[in-house]
Amino acid sequence: MASILEVEGLRKAFGGLVAVNSVSLTVSSGEVLGLIGPNGSGKTTLLNLIAGTIRPDAGSIRMAGEDVTRLPNHLRVRKRINRTFQLVRAPPNMPAIGTVMAGVLYGAGPRLRFKDAGYEAAGFLGEMNLLLKADQRFDQLTYIEQKRVELARALATRPRVLLLDEWLSGLSASELEGGMSVVWSLAARGIAVILVEHVMTAVRALCHRVIVMNAGSKIAEGPPDAVLRDAEVVRAYLGGDDA
Amino acid sequence: MSASAEEESRIRRRRAATATGALAVLVAALAATPWLASDYGLALMVNVVCYLVLTVAWALFSGTTRLVSLATSAFFGVGMYTVAMLIKLLPLYATFLVAIGVGAVLALVVGILTLRISGMFFVIFSFGLSEMIRELMVWWEINQTHTMGRYVYVPFDTTMIYEHLLALAVLVFLAGWLLRRSRFGLALLVIGEDETIARQVGINVAVSKVAIFVVSAMFMTLTGALMAPRFSFINPNFAFNPLVSFQVVIMAILGGLQRLWGPVLGVIPLIILSEELQTEFPFWYSVFLGLVFMVIVYFLPRGLTGLLEDGWARLGQPLELPRGLTGPLLDAWARLSRPITLPRGIAGAIEDRWRRIMPRVPEKR
Repeated sequence: MASILEVEGLRKAFGGLVAVNSVSLTVSSGEVLGLIGPNGSGKTTLLNLIAGTIRPDAGSIRMAGEDVTRLPNHLRVRKRINRTFQLVRAPPNMPAIGTVMAGVLYGAGPRLRFKDAGYEAAGFLGEMNLLLKADQRFDQLTYIEQKRVELARALATRPRVLLLDEWLSGLSASELEGGMSVVWSLAARGIAVILVEHVMTAVRALCHRVIVMNAGSKIAEGPPDAVLRDAEVVRAYLGGDDA
Repeated sequence: MSASAEEESRIRRRRAATATGALAVLVAALAATPWLASDYGLALMVNVVCYLVLTVAWALFSGTTRLVSLATSAFFGVGMYTVAMLIKLLPLYATFLVAIGVGAVLALVVGILTLRISGMFFVIFSFGLSEMIRELMVWWEINQTHTMGRYVYVPFDTTMIYEHLLALAVLVFLAGWLLRRSRFGLALLVIGEDETIARQVGINVAVSKVAIFVVSAMFMTLTGALMAPRFSFINPNFAFNPLVSFQVVIMAILGGLQRLWGPVLGVIPLIILSEELQTEFPFWYSVFLGLVFMVIVYFLPRGLTGLLEDGWARLGQPLELPRGLTGPLLDAWARLSRPITLPRGIAGAIEDRWRRIMPRVPEKR
């Protein structure tokens, strides 16, 4: 498989703390790449760097062969990289459909008229089983509904690489099952998914490949079974609550 | 399904036509004011329409991006003073065009410089900008041109000013209306709520903010330019009066920002009151304005529009069944059988509020 996103030697330091230390990774269309590691190991910083929320100190990010390292956040969205946030967020006082419409109108999809964008956005919400909540304010939705609105917002910009920051955390068992099938369907339609996750059941079931990070560096990479076994070995020796 | 959809679109078209017709009649009636109203009435209407344009233009920027701008007087003043300075060199309409250009360039530069400033800092900056331009103009006129002000004598009477302002008001409302159903308007709303999300849907936050700031400033500048012929003598302290900025903010939030027509409800009462107060008690007007501001922030966070909307919603609710004469009797009986509470009056209200504001002092042992 040709990889769609290629990250090479990415580095980011906050003062003396090196949050991400020359990390390289690739991901292909339709692949689910897991990113695991203890809290503070640099997973979210790595996502922020790839999405363009912050700029790297060194290294390069190539999207479909094109260098996007210097592109600001909103232009990377148009290069079809999008993300969800660890603490789910969207404009709180806006109806759910407004946020998604903004994604349709400003994302990488075809230019649509305002009204048609509304229909398109309704389609994305429908895909998340949220059509009936389309006109509700975001802050009046339940946690799981908010997570789904956020995903619909990301999908509305037509991403080819999607970064999910703990999108499956904090869900009940049945919600987790629903969430996992959503992630699965994203990969099935050819989106490259990078999944930062602490829920190991999901990582084991969904990921084709897993990268383990610790203290800003990549310490292991491979198929989930092998890596998780290794990771457990690491945990056994070094301690740590959630490898 | 298609039959009902057709029916619906027919009804929608008819409603749109009715609304457009009603608005056209309203504008026509307003346009006829100079021939119907007295000179005093017309002067009052000029003020109303002038502040209406300023307030709606202010809401275009501040209502969407939630950045409170006190630079209204800067742009209003730039418009007015540009006309005053150029009136002897250029035809009147040419001075208007130059004024719009100057206002737009100023807004562009200021917008680009202040992009990264947010919240309270932007408020202070925008206020400082206006004061800085005023001082700069005072310095320039005293030291460079050796004048203390400018005379504007042009054949552009109050009627002309009024009609031009009215046309501008129609334009600014149209801009606001279009903004509410457009891609750009949606982007501004998202920016106002959460800039990170705005970037994450692909919106260029910086460019959008500057663009709406410039549009809003152009309306304000042109208003100032149109008002210049109203006064025969203009000096910088008059043109760049900071009260304009404060009044506009208070009018906008008194009316309510969630509806486009909100400013109408804020501008009319305040203009009438300011006319009354400024003739009767000129020094009390600022105090009154401050009080209005506190009352709104405390009791009417959604402005008069919110009050109206609540009333409207209540009208739509099912009526209570009439209880006849028995009702009041029963109520009175119920009240009589309750223990008596003495009315505590305004002092009581103040006490209650004070108790809510002040944390209780822990007792000494």
